[in-house]
Amino acid sequence: MAYARAIRFVTLFLLAFWLVPAFAAGPKLADQVFRLGVTLGEDEELDFNWSIEPGYYLYRDKLAASLGGKPLKLTTAQGELKDDPNFGPTEVYHREASAYIEAVPAKGEVLVTFQGCGENTICYPPVTKAIDLATLAVSDATGRAERPHDSSSAETGGPSGFHAAGAASDNGADASGLDGSYISTLLTFFGFGFLLAFTPCMFPMLPILSGMLTQSAGRLSLARGFALSASYVLAMASAYGVLGIFAAWFGGNLQAALQTPVAVTLMSAVFVVLALSMFGLYELQLPQSLNAKLVPRNGESGSIGGAALLGFTSALIVGPCVTPPLAAALVYVAQTGNALRGSSALFMLGLGMGLPLLLLGTFGATVLPKSGAWLFRIKQVFGVILIGVALWMMSRILPLPLIATGWSVLAAGTGAWIALIAVNQPEPVWRLRQVPVVAASAALVVYGLFLAGGAIAGWYEPLRSLAWAGIAPSVGTWHQGEDGFQIVTNETDLDEAIAAGRAEGRPILVDFSADWCTECRLMERTVLADEIVRRRLNGVRLIRADVTRYDAQSRNIMRRFAVVGPPTLIFLNPMGTEVESARTVGATVADDFLAKIAAAERG
Amino acid sequence: MNDSVSRNTFLRLAGGAAVLLLTKTFARSAGNEVTRDMILADPEAPIGGNPDGDLAIVDFFDYNCPFCKKSATHLERLVKTDGRIKLIYKDWPILTETSIVGAQLALGAKYQGKYLEAHRALMNIPGYGISREQMIDAVRKSGIDLARLDADVQSNADAIGGLIKRNLTIAEAIGLQGTPGFLIGPYKVNEALTYEGFQHVVADARARQRN
Repeated sequence: MAYARAIRFVTLFLLAFWLVPAFAAGPKLADQVFRLGVTLGEDEELDFNWSIEPGYYLYRDKLAASLGGKPLKLTTAQGELKDDPNFGPTEVYHREASAYIEAVPAKGEVLVTFQGCGENTICYPPVTKAIDLATLAVSDATGRAERPHDSSSAETGGPSGFHAAGAASDNGADASGLDGSYISTLLTFFGFGFLLAFTPCMFPMLPILSGMLTQSAGRLSLARGFALSASYVLAMASAYGVLGIFAAWFGGNLQAALQTPVAVTLMSAVFVVLALSMFGLYELQLPQSLNAKLVPRNGESGSIGGAALLGFTSALIVGPCVTPPLAAALVYVAQTGNALRGSSALFMLGLGMGLPLLLLGTFGATVLPKSGAWLFRIKQVFGVILIGVALWMMSRILPLPLIATGWSVLAAGTGAWIALIAVNQPEPVWRLRQVPVVAASAALVVYGLFLAGGAIAGWYEPLRSLAWAGIAPSVGTWHQGEDGFQIVTNETDLDEAIAAGRAEGRPILVDFSADWCTECRLMERTVLADEIVRRRLNGVRLIRADVTRYDAQSRNIMRRFAVVGPPTLIFLNPMGTEVESARTVGATVADDFLAKIAAAERG
Repeated sequence: MNDSVSRNTFLRLAGGAAVLLLTKTFARSAGNEVTRDMILADPEAPIGGNPDGDLAIVDFFDYNCPFCKKSATHLERLVKTDGRIKLIYKDWPILTETSIVGAQLALGAKYQGKYLEAHRALMNIPGYGISREQMIDAVRKSGIDLARLDADVQSNADAIGGLIKRNLTIAEAIGLQGTPGFLIGPYKVNEALTYEGFQHVVADARARQRN
């Protein structure tokens, strides 16, 4: 097995003493870092495509090709400028590079050479690959091409197997779930998705789907409920598939990219529109044509389409959680460019996540009340919830006092409305069963006023005022860095924070977090608040990279550490190098995180 | 090919890291036996720091490697402040055509007792893609007799070539993937380090040597 061969090379030495890699991960082989794919283009040109590991780059001026010892003209794209103190800017490629050769013969062997480095870590010798023009098969040819020391007069040419270990990139065992057979990959991701359905990421989906079903609950049959939920779930899964294609094309996370004010506002607006229709105000508000499109009506073709639209957008904008399977699939797609395999795995992940929703939508819908005042009330309840979802989403982009005002109006308004309904009963008899209604109404009004007061006074912690009862998580606290984390939002601040940690000789924890990341909130109040964890983190410098706004700054930070999205926790050793084995992607539990801390301390 | 990417990724994500406990064995490469003495006691290899130090650091570098140059300043500083480190220079020209020129210039300067001067002059040209002319210019400015250097390189071509070849063989045998590479006591580090990084590994290496 090739992997075993690579290990043997490392192991081989140890002549009379022990030799241990100082860092568990060790350097990556050049073949792992720079992956070459070759295709024949439409105009018979030979297309080269390199996918490059994050943190590494290829030099544009080191790309070269030859056929039968004669150099070929290799057309390359503009690279990114990198300041070289010697030559001024040189051009390099990050993440991917491409080049082509026009008009190649049908047979023969093209040698292509490329060279690159890992930022601040390592520079690789030139790598040469041979491409058989008849089959486009790529094989290792390093040592066959002219290499610097071969051509020198000093006869310093090394043995041709000079970095043979570099060829051993075919790492044996199958562990990721993305290797192995296609079918088992899909099933694995379906299973992951099903498990993920029970994480907080999916909670916002419930009122959206339920609300949509309630819209048409008047005559909702089992089949209709199934059809609507299925279209919602299929669209949601497709959205995940699209994530994969996006990652393959742009090497980024579409979900995070969609956390723009415009997208979030539009989605919130959709929810408000839906909510208004729940209150029966809808027909007065919008023209009929738009009505039919936006609010699905039972029996109309638009309803299936509406469900699909909601499912697709919800997946992208409402619940942008990053989980290990999602991150693994996205990274896989971005690195290999294998959009088909990655996207279909993501699609299955979405299907798995949607399965419980589908069950709920199909069977839950049939047990919903068929008609009457109850249905009216339930619609209104969902209307309130949908406005809540809209507010929750807007809190990602609007200043907190505004959001506080919004919540206070919603709470007080709901309370007042409940009171109004109670008073407007045909026979306003004060019965015992109305006591909880009145109490709830009063509580909501008081809570609303309380929040309004807070908004005016300039402090705002919407759910914290309820935290004493253990009902709600304490959110928003970390803006002040109360939990010992230093908040950074750009690379300069991050560098300064890391430098400070290094100066103290302390390991560093960087927590990638965002306001819109529900999983992050959950971890902050469980794992990171855990007493044992806090104690273990005593000697660690804590940095929180706030990537709430998906701007160039946060993208840079994320790209630098190859972070797909929050929540991701990485440890740097006192030298500022990441301890790769200690990385946590997605939600974790205290025990696992303690193991990561231990790994970080070893590293 | 693609499969190994996802495996790596998954391993990283899953946090799987294997610690290899290595066993004593002999490496053979292209018929050349690599011995401990070849690495630590090659009589031709230039030495810096304290020759009687308690810890040996073997430095594999290339004069076209930008990170080697940054790292070298940190290492030289540590060697100086520490005072008990023996630094063994392994010219390892693998990056570009002119890398070999740089190695010849530096190793040729050894014959007039000025290896370190030439080495530092070459390492002080920042960046990559250094031209032959720039290298020669830098060496001249460091106070080296170029005419003598030229003659020494000519007459000792076999010795210089042989040393470079041995260095290439050693680097292959110990599995270095690129420049820079360091052997610090029992540790192999195949990436550029900062001053603190070197300090850290040196402390670990001494601790391990005591055990």
